[in-house]
Amino acid sequence: MREWKIVMWVVYTLNGLYFAALLFLTSLGLNIILGVMGILNLAHGSLYAIGAFMAAWTIIQIATKAPASFLFLSLLSGLALAGVVGFLMEKSLIRAMYKRTLEYQLLLTFGALLLLEDVIKMIWGGQAYYASAPFDFLGAVDVLGHVYPIYFLFVMGITFFAGLFIWFFMGRTKLGIMLRAISLDREMATGLGLDIGRLSTFAFVLGSGLAGLAGALVVPTTPALLGIGMEPLILAFIVVVVGGLGSLKGALVGALLVGFTRSFGIAILPEIELPLLFLIAGIILVVKPQGLFGR
Amino acid sequence: MANKISRRKFLKYMGATAVSVGALGGSTKAIGQAKRPIPTTPIKIAAVSFLTGAAAAPFGIPGDNTFKMCADVINKEGGILGRKIELASKDEAGGVDAQVKLARKLILEDKVDVDLGYISSASCLAVLPLADESGGLIVAYDCGTHELMEGPKSPFEVPKFKLGFKSSAHLGIDNIGLALFIKKYYPNIKKVAGINQDYAWGRDSWLIFETAMKKLMPNVQVVKTLWPPLGNTDFTAHISALMGAEPDIVHSSLWGGDAVTFTKQALGMGFFKKIRMAYSRGEPYPQEVGKDYPEEQIICCAGTHYFLFTPPDKTSAGLQKWFVAEYRKRYGKYPSYPCYHAYQALYAYKNAVEKAAKAAGGWPTIDEIAKAMTGLTFPSPSGPITIREDHSAIEDVLVGFSKMTPKYPFPILDPKRMEIFPAVQVNAPVGMRTVDWINSWK
Repeated sequence: MREWKIVMWVVYTLNGLYFAALLFLTSLGLNIILGVMGILNLAHGSLYAIGAFMAAWTIIQIATKAPASFLFLSLLSGLALAGVVGFLMEKSLIRAMYKRTLEYQLLLTFGALLLLEDVIKMIWGGQAYYASAPFDFLGAVDVLGHVYPIYFLFVMGITFFAGLFIWFFMGRTKLGIMLRAISLDREMATGLGLDIGRLSTFAFVLGSGLAGLAGALVVPTTPALLGIGMEPLILAFIVVVVGGLGSLKGALVGALLVGFTRSFGIAILPEIELPLLFLIAGIILVVKPQGLFGR
Repeated sequence: MANKISRRKFLKYMGATAVSVGALGGSTKAIGQAKRPIPTTPIKIAAVSFLTGAAAAPFGIPGDNTFKMCADVINKEGGILGRKIELASKDEAGGVDAQVKLARKLILEDKVDVDLGYISSASCLAVLPLADESGGLIVAYDCGTHELMEGPKSPFEVPKFKLGFKSSAHLGIDNIGLALFIKKYYPNIKKVAGINQDYAWGRDSWLIFETAMKKLMPNVQVVKTLWPPLGNTDFTAHISALMGAEPDIVHSSLWGGDAVTFTKQALGMGFFKKIRMAYSRGEPYPQEVGKDYPEEQIICCAGTHYFLFTPPDKTSAGLQKWFVAEYRKRYGKYPSYPCYHAYQALYAYKNAVEKAAKAAGGWPTIDEIAKAMTGLTFPSPSGPITIREDHSAIEDVLVGFSKMTPKYPFPILDPKRMEIFPAVQVNAPVGMRTVDWINSWK
């Protein structure tokens, strides 16, 4: 009896990590776009949804025909399409917004959100896409006598490497350093001769791709449905508020905080599941308005 | 058994009433009232279901399919009193305000003869009051809330709406049925828990279930109640919290993508090895999930709406055979409970019009149709349906265990352990609130 309780705490921790992993990926993209370009992208959730639908569609197409390794490669289709849509969005809509105030950005990206929702409806229709093949394929592992799906561990692994890659890219590569320079001081970066336009496009595509990847990773565990991007958008905002704008470390700590609070909160205080996360965001906003690691 | 006899008697009595109403119609005609002509124009029927969004695949599309199928069949058989049905399928998406606007437009501008619709309880609660306000006939076909036709306290006056009807029973039958089933099969359990979505549907479902359990099995303890938001995509925390609380049975009214997501993730986490689920409207999901769907789960059908159920009366049994075959032929699936609900709404209208026309000696007015629909009993694929004087249908309810058989690619309800609780046992009497009724049980 007692041992089972301890096992359950281990599982709560794993659940928290899994949820944090997905949140981290989603908020990372939002954070890069916000940090480098100063654009608050409300359509970020729609890019997540595009990733989810694209991956679900690809998995369903190949599930019975191709070898298993293709199932996992097909998750990348979500990343790719979200990246392409991000590219088109930046070139056509976002470009005009750099010099405008926040209100214009919010209106425009909210418009893009509505537009993309309808585009998804046009392409994939109103029905649900069930694409659980990768989840089923990986099966489960024994964690101290408790069954745990390997797919959740796989998601954590992918997120870990994605996070590591972004950290290395931002900190150690020339391109990453240029992006950080823009996020620190846009005018100075321009003065130093950086090609702000092209770098901004790149940052937007990178952020969009990360959102698409998060959507693609989710879809083997839940059907792709219209409106699938709304919840992650709100949660990603909470993470950004908690962790601080434009901070990689902040996104990580924020995602972990939200993930664990949710997992343990549901186990201990289920009545306040919905307000719990907003409560945390509220407390952080009052105590440290710039977020835990914000500048 | 006693209940079965009383229902048969009741049907006989209903038949006699129908005959006498017919005779009455004959006699008024005899007095010399002019026969009213039957228009040659088609009957305009609006069918409102979710055609997009989370509720489209499990409910809206099957419901809409059935409306189309039945209208087509009725038209091929010559229509209603010779008038063809012109069906307009509308989308329930867009929220309550959009639905109120749409219903007003359908009744006042498009001048539909009847508005059959609504899957969401929120839509029903918002739209049904428009019936009397705009003078249009509205029949709620699928939404679950027990609040729709109930007054603020017992006893309340009926009907709540003169021109508003509900052609299927409310969620009371599912949750009372589950409690009765659990008492019968698991009289010695100690602990139950609940996972229901955090809005009216989930809260109401749990309220009725918990109230009934307290009355039927007072020693059972509720160890956990979880309230995930609608459209939740990650249930791992909920699944673990339930497993940590170690209940014997978990009650749930989860539906659509949420029900599928929960089942899939719970399967992955070994949930069903330790805990049994009791789904208040779980009927569509074994077919959706397929062979992976866990066995031995308790599943309720929102009535006796199950494609393998044969109603005891011959007319309904014949209809069931035809309905299942015809739906499968057209749409490649077995009909799920929203299909049966759609049938009930369309045929409630057809039967009421025919009954009213007999009495009126010609095409009836809306008031006459509403009058005929009150107290109407008619056969349906899952058994005879009665719409009471509170304008709400009552139904028997079927509960069973999921079981894999070689014949179907998904678990079916084990035919040997299907329980049918008769309407009188699971529906509150007219004018009494469901919760008050349960609390009055001896």
